[in-house]
Amino acid sequence: MTRHVLRTVAQYGAVLVAAIALNFALPRLAPGDAIDYLLPPEQAGALTPEQRAEILDRFGLNDPLPEQFKDYVAGIARGDLLVSIRFGRPVTSLLGERVGWTLLLVGGALVLSTVIGALLGFRSAWRRGTSADTGTMAGMMFLDALPPFFVGMLLLLAFSVGLGWFPSYGALAPSDARGLESIGEVLKRAVLPIATLAIAGLGPMYLVARSALVSELAEDYVLMAEAKGLTDKEVRRHAARNALLPVSTVALVGLGTLVGGAAVVETVFSYPGLGRLIYESVLARDYPVIQGAFLLLIVTVVVANLLNDLVYPYLDPRVRRAHHE
Amino acid sequence: MLRRVLVSACCLGLAAAGLVAPSPARGQAGATKTVRVAIKGFENNITPFTVGFGALPATNDIQHLVYDALFWSQAVPDPEPWLAESAESEDGGSTWDVKLREGVTWHDGTPFTSADVAFSFDYYKAQPGASGRYAHHVSDMPAYDRSEIVDEHRLRIFFRQPAPQFRIMPGGDLPIIAKHVYEGVAEPASMTTQLPVGTGPFKLVEIVPDQRYRMEANEDHFKGAPKIDQLELVIVKDPQSAYTALRTGDVDMVERNIPPELVEQLRGTDGIGVAESTRFDSIQMYFNARKAPWSDPKLRKAISTGIDLDALVDTVLLGHGRPGRDAFVHPDSPWALPEAEAGHDFDRPAAATMLDDAGYTAKDPDGVRKAPDGTRLELNVLVSSFEPTDIRAMQLVGEQIAPLGVKLNVEPLDPATLRTRRQAPPGSVPTYDAYVSSLEAHAHVDPDGLYYFFHSPGPKGFGASITGYTNAEMDRLIEEATGKENDERKEILGEAQKVLAQEVPVIVLYYPDGQFAFREAAYDGWVADKGQGIFTKRSFLPGYEEIAVQGAADLEEPAAAGGDDEGSGVPVIPIAVAVVAAVGLFAYLGNRGRRRTAEDE
Repeated sequence: MTRHVLRTVAQYGAVLVAAIALNFALPRLAPGDAIDYLLPPEQAGALTPEQRAEILDRFGLNDPLPEQFKDYVAGIARGDLLVSIRFGRPVTSLLGERVGWTLLLVGGALVLSTVIGALLGFRSAWRRGTSADTGTMAGMMFLDALPPFFVGMLLLLAFSVGLGWFPSYGALAPSDARGLESIGEVLKRAVLPIATLAIAGLGPMYLVARSALVSELAEDYVLMAEAKGLTDKEVRRHAARNALLPVSTVALVGLGTLVGGAAVVETVFSYPGLGRLIYESVLARDYPVIQGAFLLLIVTVVVANLLNDLVYPYLDPRVRRAHHE
Repeated sequence: MLRRVLVSACCLGLAAAGLVAPSPARGQAGATKTVRVAIKGFENNITPFTVGFGALPATNDIQHLVYDALFWSQAVPDPEPWLAESAESEDGGSTWDVKLREGVTWHDGTPFTSADVAFSFDYYKAQPGASGRYAHHVSDMPAYDRSEIVDEHRLRIFFRQPAPQFRIMPGGDLPIIAKHVYEGVAEPASMTTQLPVGTGPFKLVEIVPDQRYRMEANEDHFKGAPKIDQLELVIVKDPQSAYTALRTGDVDMVERNIPPELVEQLRGTDGIGVAESTRFDSIQMYFNARKAPWSDPKLRKAISTGIDLDALVDTVLLGHGRPGRDAFVHPDSPWALPEAEAGHDFDRPAAATMLDDAGYTAKDPDGVRKAPDGTRLELNVLVSSFEPTDIRAMQLVGEQIAPLGVKLNVEPLDPATLRTRRQAPPGSVPTYDAYVSSLEAHAHVDPDGLYYFFHSPGPKGFGASITGYTNAEMDRLIEEATGKENDERKEILGEAQKVLAQEVPVIVLYYPDGQFAFREAAYDGWVADKGQGIFTKRSFLPGYEEIAVQGAADLEEPAAAGGDDEGSGVPVIPIAVAVVAAVGLFAYLGNRGRRRTAEDE
């Protein structure tokens, strides 16, 4: 068992190292120079070569690549992710400001889409082949096919412009809100983005839950349980517990994708999250931020996967036994 | 089980909705009068050394809420004395005697003196990298030399060559910074989080990165206390979201030009005013003047003559703009040639004749002409993929010039890639054919603007260093203009514009109108500040009522308190019906399924 844990951790460590190296290389392969984004064209054009060199120097972008790589690795070791070209501030503080907002959105959406998706999926599986099943399936396919920005805009139109229940942009409470009121204001602003992300994540979760339960229901132990005369409810509980395994995997693995994929929703709702920061930094060739943010994403995904691998044996006795043998 | 969960979820949802249901409109209830303005992007702490130009073209306007210049504004030939009471020169502009306003204080209470002004000029000059666009106005054109402090409120400013337009540039543009803040600071660009200290009508009191700025009125401003107590600049990057926020009342004004397709809709919305005040924007296509065949002025002029700019304005801008002029300079700029001499004549047959005469007679089987050396007239135009209007415009231009035998390909690129494609390693020629870009007031009103854009590429690295345009007559005229006063300079710059109209190194497609939307009930003191739009410090200061915008407020009944804007063009009812129908269908199917299971049992 311990050997298994060690091996898993080592494997993920190797993945992490490879990812860190790639993370350095990829942004530098894209065309475009950071300076051209720093200044509007008429000024970037008006800079003398010396001024350009001075600016690039300040960010260490004139050093030879091996030098830049050394600084990069040393920085990661120190927990110091350089300074953003666009903001002139440490990348760690930029990421710190945003990660909370993203966790609020992504965490909320993940919980909602997992719970609702799993419940609906199990319900469909139990009634497989009925019109309830096909109806739900069709509905889920429809929601899944809608692009998140479109769902976001519809929600905005209906609940913000139309009904006036929720504010239409931003994350922060107005500056004149105090205490409890400001917490309420923050939650109010999170409702529509969370709903949008949850709707976007609902489809895959539903499908996984449904197919998991369908295959569990075909197992011998279900037949056995039915033959024993257990009630529907009890049979369902047996099967559903087993079907939860793939659902938990998808939820954990989906965490990383969701963090990066929230960019569109963050744009529609002017939400200051990580996704939008990454998107804008890519456009700006703001290498330090791109690297910092991707590093954070990579670590999130690797850790989520590692957790999944390590926790799985406890959720599933079969896996646990297999390792003991 | 599921049913119960769903029911309780619905109840929770409803309860939450009740909890969050309309709270009283902010900013109107209390004693503080707050105006919320949606801006495009974050600008760090908005000092001249730290802005990122994410909020362009408003970057300058935002800075000038907190900082002041000696005069205001750069867009008029006779700017209003601001921090300066007067500025006089007796030697044709090489030496300026500046008298400053007395009793002005910085936001931190320190008195403002002539030492601050002298320091500002010296500091901008010493920090060419960090001071970005302000640097060239003190180091290159006009060429600042040094200052001499006469007393607390008087100083002499020396230039290395006559700077007769000192009051406009840099006088009307350069933010004056505090000596006690920047003295001894070697890297001002790294001071990105401190609150700025200016003399302007607003003090910046809170910065929430990428979300908002909060400014408080500077009650002691020398032009009088601002008419509002608080100004909040909130960052809304997506244009659709910005106008949604305006409709819901979450913001009171959107600081960006209304997209043409939204103008009529916003005009028809109760409670929303639409103000007109151009910011002297222009959208133009630059030819690569160093690459054959586009280096041939006759070819460029022929292509320009084959473009119907009126049709562009009608189709692309839906009429909300003016067609471009071959002479480049914005028609409302103080330096512009009169319309009759500077316009644009669309004449397709004449354009064809010009191409024939210039030797572009050979044609490929597909009808595309060839240069005498055999090169096909295929013009590849780089356009920012973020500017759908520019892309539409260039596609239309392509259709217009196709009958001439010139093939135009539009290549949309992300902005950073586009800028790289425009550049070339030192010593070589960039490979692009043409690109589209926009300019704002500063380019059109700077008395030396033509110098910066069209002088031969020179050792200083500015001039037409991007397009590589070279013309000896042009160089002579704009060099001569730099030392001349108003009328004489205007005449010489007029001659230079005539050269541009003949040689067409750029084709101006159009000058978009400036149209801005605001909520009348929240604030209606907006003024049309020439060349600055309406988001300008004058909009918040007393004494400019005579240039107040002609908003809808003057035409209609004042909006009732609470600004009722139901049915403001949003299809709430259809959406609600669709949602109800979907839920109904779902419930129906669910029940059928349930029944069938029951029957099975």
